[in-house]
Amino acid sequence: MTLSEIADGRIAPRFGIKLDNISKRYGDHVVLDDVSLHVEPGTVTALIGPSGAGKSTFLRCTNLLERPDSGTIQVGQHTIEPGKEVNSRDLAALRRTVGMVFQSFNLFPHMSALKNISFPQQKVLGRSKEEADERSMQLLERVGLKEKASQHPGRCSGGQQQRIAIARALALDPGIMLFDEPTSALDPEVGLEVLAVMRELAADGMTMIVVTHEMQFARDVSDTLVVMADCKIIEQGDPRAIMSDPQEARTRRFLRAVLER
Amino acid sequence: MTWLTEWAGYLPQMMSGLGVSLLIAGISIFFGYPLGLALSLMVTAKNLAVRTVGLAVVEIGRGAPALVILYLFYYGLPKFGIAFESITAACLALTWNSAAYSSEIMRAGIQSVARGQLEASNALGLSQRDTFFRVIMPQGMRSAIPGLMGVAIQMFQGTSLAYAIAVPELMKSAYNIGSQDFNYLQIFTLAGLCYAAISMPATWITVFFEKRMARHT
Repeated sequence: MTLSEIADGRIAPRFGIKLDNISKRYGDHVVLDDVSLHVEPGTVTALIGPSGAGKSTFLRCTNLLERPDSGTIQVGQHTIEPGKEVNSRDLAALRRTVGMVFQSFNLFPHMSALKNISFPQQKVLGRSKEEADERSMQLLERVGLKEKASQHPGRCSGGQQQRIAIARALALDPGIMLFDEPTSALDPEVGLEVLAVMRELAADGMTMIVVTHEMQFARDVSDTLVVMADCKIIEQGDPRAIMSDPQEARTRRFLRAVLER
Repeated sequence: MTWLTEWAGYLPQMMSGLGVSLLIAGISIFFGYPLGLALSLMVTAKNLAVRTVGLAVVEIGRGAPALVILYLFYYGLPKFGIAFESITAACLALTWNSAAYSSEIMRAGIQSVARGQLEASNALGLSQRDTFFRVIMPQGMRSAIPGLMGVAIQMFQGTSLAYAIAVPELMKSAYNIGSQDFNYLQIFTLAGLCYAAISMPATWITVFFEKRMARHT
């Protein structure tokens, strides 16, 4: 059984996502300037670029953790226009379809690893405790942390916490997974175990959008590389092509900084 | 030696006073904390009217001396036809006091919960209700525990104010004994020791909790 088959119980439909003309500003400060991105079902999109480019904000607009001022978000059959009133049913449907993994893990520190994964299943999907725990144990085993089930997050290393956080998101059967710099808070070595889980997930055909500074991962795993700078997408396409022959001067400067250090 | 034997003689009467003090403190904490939680929610509410009422209750409870509130309940309210027994008035005044102080401690605890916890809950699609009661509040309350225990000790010591409206609590017992044979020094020393016998171990427990929590964060 593969990771994503466990994640959704059976082979679930893959979702793509279309973000069109997303703009966001804080007062006079523009953060996203008319950004559009289409992600095909089952593909991995890596978002790279200098800090302050708007990568994380853009990712967080995808599940409305950040509310864009205008634009449209289309996931599956659902279309949401965040500039207007968003009803709670659309919001719930969006968040049910889209799973998210944070840089700082954000596990619930007062719950065991198992409870962290089971509790949202019970509340959001209405699974019984037994069903939820069974799914949680499958996922914990798959991310290699079965023996940590009863431990609280404080007793786990950063890498272990992040893998538990991935299991927590997968347990809700998302059609799309968002990763917001999932390894940035980790030691390079520890980050590898998280990247390994993500590679596996990608290989299973999960639709993923990953904000990352891991160039190796972006090159090897992603189908589409998206370069953001100054609140815009400045370049996108095949990761190897962009990395070996960037078209934009700004991309070249950024890649030189991260690749040739 | 004579002090000790005399103290032993006073002890039964003092103990009944101590019992009343503990009862008042217990009641004001038992009702004060849940009210404090409600007030902390009101103070952070979006609705302006709710927020204003909450703020007024909290600020009066913290701003006015407990003795003033006590007098208002006992001597002031009968003017409106509302009369309480002295012990009831004491419980009401101290409940208000503990609710006001604990609400600020709980509010600070809730606001200290990392923002990422709210974001993770939102991203998982948890309802607002589950997010607050199952994720935010348990963590906020944990960091509020030392402060709340401090309020409890403060309330226990605050029960001595009820002496002013003739509640037969610890201070009243001491004063009664003292006025019989004018051994004020001995009897108030004993009263002080009785308060300390409860407050000091409670303080130690608070410090123990603080250390334990510092270790886990």
